[in-house]
Amino acid sequence: MDKNIPQEIERFDLSARIQHIIMFTTFLILSFTGWGLKYAYVEPSSTWINIWGGPRMAGIIHRVAGITMLLDFIYHQFYLLNLARKRDLRLTIIPMPKDVVDLVHNFMYYLGLRKERPYFGKFSYLQKFDYWAVYWGMFIIGTSGFFLAFPVTVSALFPTFTLGWIWDVLFIMHSDEALLAIVFILIIHFYMEHLRSDVFPMNWLWLTGKMSVEKLKHHHPAEYDYLFGPKSKKENK
Amino acid sequence: MRIRQGAVVLLLSSLFLIPAADAAPDAKACLACHASMKGNIEKEKGVLVNLNVDAEKFSKSVHGSFNCVDCHLSFASQPHKGPAAPVDKAIQDLAKALSLKSKIDPVAQAACVNCHPDPYAAYKTSVHGQNVMVKKSTDGPVCTSCHGSPHYIQARPSTESKVYLYNIIVTCGTCHEEKFMSEKYGFSPLVMERYLESFHGRKLKLGHTGAPSCAKCHGSHGILSAKDPKSPVNVANKKATCGQPKCHPGATDKFVAAITHKPLHPVAHFTEIALIILTVGTFMFIIIHVLLDIFADIRDRLFRKGDHHG
Repeated sequence: MDKNIPQEIERFDLSARIQHIIMFTTFLILSFTGWGLKYAYVEPSSTWINIWGGPRMAGIIHRVAGITMLLDFIYHQFYLLNLARKRDLRLTIIPMPKDVVDLVHNFMYYLGLRKERPYFGKFSYLQKFDYWAVYWGMFIIGTSGFFLAFPVTVSALFPTFTLGWIWDVLFIMHSDEALLAIVFILIIHFYMEHLRSDVFPMNWLWLTGKMSVEKLKHHHPAEYDYLFGPKSKKENK
Repeated sequence: MRIRQGAVVLLLSSLFLIPAADAAPDAKACLACHASMKGNIEKEKGVLVNLNVDAEKFSKSVHGSFNCVDCHLSFASQPHKGPAAPVDKAIQDLAKALSLKSKIDPVAQAACVNCHPDPYAAYKTSVHGQNVMVKKSTDGPVCTSCHGSPHYIQARPSTESKVYLYNIIVTCGTCHEEKFMSEKYGFSPLVMERYLESFHGRKLKLGHTGAPSCAKCHGSHGILSAKDPKSPVNVANKKATCGQPKCHPGATDKFVAAITHKPLHPVAHFTEIALIILTVGTFMFIIIHVLLDIFADIRDRLFRKGDHHG
């Protein structure tokens, strides 16, 4: 291996790692307390909610966790702005037409129609999906949750013509999209970062922020080429 | 032989329990027979009466210390001779007014007001009372419709009470879930369903002590149609009702629009469908994706050694 190429690279700085920890802690708390209310008529929801200190306390915990998550999300926007200010912001997370190509290539690889995995960049299309899903969640679940948490106050914002459905829409948005978020995380995120045979029991990156260059080369060849000189895919093999 | 003698002695001595005709018999005397009766009798065409009273349950009810004749003031038919005193005129009139709805013993039904005048005063003016007593409709409750048999009645905080916070939803639902009722009186056909799926219903189910069930907002004995300007859930009063200090202080008109029990507005309905399609679509995509990834991973490990990355 070239001496100029390090053993590992930093993928997430300390701030990003802390943002992630706050995000998943509040996410779990919100899921646990919200689930009991969504499925109130399915036992053992009553028992479950009592573990959280009863419905009143569970409601307070849910609101505090929700606001913490929203603040974490807002902080992330400032974090990005700061990176941009330092000219340190690469747009590697933005979905590109290439992601569609990667998706097709990946399915062809799965089905044995291609020999190689797609030429993934710093973030694969699934990772981009995972990242932007948080924005979708914040927009749909975050805003509706905020409105539902302070209904008397925010009701002033609603135009009169919306009153016949706005409250039901907020509730449906919050409840259905929360289920989507939970199942999405449970399936994709847990599979990719915990259960997949090459990361089991977990991808330690969430703590160390570092990825071995070997792994980078395998999973994110385009990023490897970007960082460590132009090389053809064949040479990487 | 001794056993048979004993049985005869017991039988004879039980005769002493039967009181003289003019003394007010106590509950024990009535229950000597009425606690062990089986089947129903037909009082008039189509009205079946169960004459049996569960003595143990009766003794544990809030009325357990009463004598039967405290409420059963007269008996319409033999073999019983009623209590000596004639039934009060007011009770007789009320019994007549309730007789359409209370067929078994309207006098006993009317006798509730002897001890419970305030609920009766409220009931008289309520949409329920007006319907039964003035409009002579059977679409309204009398005391026992909601509270259950007075023989077994429990105080409201008891989980066995039919008007207990959680049980009252089922009790009101007996009639308010009926389609013909909602059509006839113009309330939402999904009152119960929409209540149960609301935050109020869910929180109540989980044991939230502040969550309201039916009577908390709509009132009870004095209940009025929501169209009545005096109803606490009338458009004009909803703000005050929802805005009680322990509930939603400062409630605005736009806020109180949240709870209507009406079926979902089309906008909300189609939002729900769109989100369900999105959710199911995403599930399908990620499940297929994960399964393919697992299969490819296994395939690579088995057949493409060196290609995988452990």
